[in-house]
Amino acid sequence: MVRKKVPEWMNSTMWSTAPPPPTNDDDFLRRSPSTKISSTGSNSVASRLNPAPPPSTASSVPSPSPRPRNGNNPGGSGEYGNSVGPSAEDLSRQAHLTAELSKKVINMKELRSLALQSLPDSLGIRSTVWKLLLGYLPPERSLWSMELKQKRSQYKHYKDELLTSPSEITWRLVRSKGFDNYELKSESRCMLSRSRITDEDHPLSLGKASIWNTYFQDTETIEQIDRDVKRTHPDIPFFSGESSFAHSNQESMKNILLVFAKLNQGIRYVQGMNEILAPIFYVFRNDPDEDSSSHAEADAFFCFVELLSGFRDFYCQQLDNSVVGIRSAITRLSQLVKKHDEELWRHLEITTKVNPQFYAFRWITLLLTQEFSFFDCLHIWDALLSDPEGPLESLLGICCAMLVLVRRRLIAGDFTSNMKLLQHYPTTNISHLLYVANKLRSKMLV
Amino acid sequence: MVLVLALGDLHVPHRAADLPPKFKSMLVPGKIQHIICTGNLCIKEIHDYLKTICPDLHIVRGEFDEDARYPENKTLTIGQFKLGLCHGHQVIPWGDLDSLAMLQRQLDVDILVTGHTHQFTAYKHEGGVVINPGSATGAYSSINQDVNPSFVLMDIDGLRVVVYVYELIDGEVKVDKIDFKKTSTSNSAP
Repeated sequence: MVRKKVPEWMNSTMWSTAPPPPTNDDDFLRRSPSTKISSTGSNSVASRLNPAPPPSTASSVPSPSPRPRNGNNPGGSGEYGNSVGPSAEDLSRQAHLTAELSKKVINMKELRSLALQSLPDSLGIRSTVWKLLLGYLPPERSLWSMELKQKRSQYKHYKDELLTSPSEITWRLVRSKGFDNYELKSESRCMLSRSRITDEDHPLSLGKASIWNTYFQDTETIEQIDRDVKRTHPDIPFFSGESSFAHSNQESMKNILLVFAKLNQGIRYVQGMNEILAPIFYVFRNDPDEDSSSHAEADAFFCFVELLSGFRDFYCQQLDNSVVGIRSAITRLSQLVKKHDEELWRHLEITTKVNPQFYAFRWITLLLTQEFSFFDCLHIWDALLSDPEGPLESLLGICCAMLVLVRRRLIAGDFTSNMKLLQHYPTTNISHLLYVANKLRSKMLV
Repeated sequence: MVLVLALGDLHVPHRAADLPPKFKSMLVPGKIQHIICTGNLCIKEIHDYLKTICPDLHIVRGEFDEDARYPENKTLTIGQFKLGLCHGHQVIPWGDLDSLAMLQRQLDVDILVTGHTHQFTAYKHEGGVVINPGSATGAYSSINQDVNPSFVLMDIDGLRVVVYVYELIDGEVKVDKIDFKKTSTSNSAP
């Protein structure tokens, strides 16, 4: 099984000058080619250490989280399908999840910790779980249909109000007032009578209150949204291609982004929002439940708003330098790296002068959608959304883990190679990444 | 929702210097999808100016146009409607509804746009609708010396058309509206 990583022996702790890093990633990585991935239910790292090359840190680090750690290949992660079918651990998690979701009142805390290690793809529950995690669906199952109905009709209302063309609006007014339109070809001959209209009601109006003027001012936003949606994930048939399915999906995404832009005149549409919307819409649209899938657009709108509400300030240029802005988030990431791995931090920022803004900006503002394959992103987002304090905390943890996992190469590299590495982050085992991120976080709490 | 600008009889530079500034401030690029012009611009500079407002420009020949290559008549289809274009000096008596109706049947169009009289009119007859956008500069005509600048903007949306008439009366722009529709896409004469 081909993995584009540095050879195992290079990763060993023997080569490090400082004491081995606090994470167990090196030991963990070593296990793969020699030991067959055994689907045991064992929980500690120690049992997986293979006795061959330098066994320096044979310390068995008990896994910090109380949950059974799914360190092996989960049923979902695309690349690492080494296992012979899902492990016993996976099955138990799946059973646990299904049981949890079928309860009358769902225990959110339980659900969050289950989602933290990413959800299995096979169950098709991702859509429902995300809706619960984002607060779109309340934990009480009985309230679901009412909530959904209300939210969906609200979205429909927004669309009617904001997305109708001015032509349509004018005609509705005419009809409601009971005016008679002339029929083009009828028997009578006459002069067509004219009705005087105000300065705002005609297409060339430049008045502020004119619906036509607002319509034309929005054209630029509409064009930009159109361009960005067309460019989203061109390799995935769901989003792009000539099929009518792809076109309707693109239409839905455009509608959502446009309604959002019009409702939030403060930030309007910023490039990148399409990338954040894409996984949400994809997941909801692929919900095995027919009813949910058909209302994916409305559901995705509200969940998109909810997700973005935590990150709104990143999209506002004036807030860049403020406490809530993107710069401060990047600084926090930097501090996090410094705390966990001083040597790496020093090498990155001081020696090679790789300013975290060069790579972390995209990592943070786009929630890692550009760094991993689409399906890997879905798994990462499971963990991001499961964070009770909001996705930002988990995101910073995962970014830190990403840096730590490639520390060997970073420390060995100079500015150019490090930049190249970080801007094209290598494919990784996602569950491993999440595990490391989790460990980092729990270390912080200790 | 297609916006079509209909105008003509500008007679620049012979009878008028330019369009009124209030009209020019409204005619910005990017809003209009088609321009149909009844003729008598008369010079290339006006042609170029109209091109900047919208690249899709259709012009027919008026008797004073300096470019002899414009056609006498033109027909085009926009959405569900067929539009016909002719300057109108060829149709005698000038501005007569019956004669124009004959031309309309000949061209087989739903909406016929003609000019020459420098007077806005909008008629309906059995064969369709005839619209005269008047003179966009207010140039005098052989029949009328006191002309208000006017032009027409049509909003074609499916089977419905809303005609916005812009007139400059006493220095103020006044806008009127006419709505009509057709019931089916077939063009059979009643």
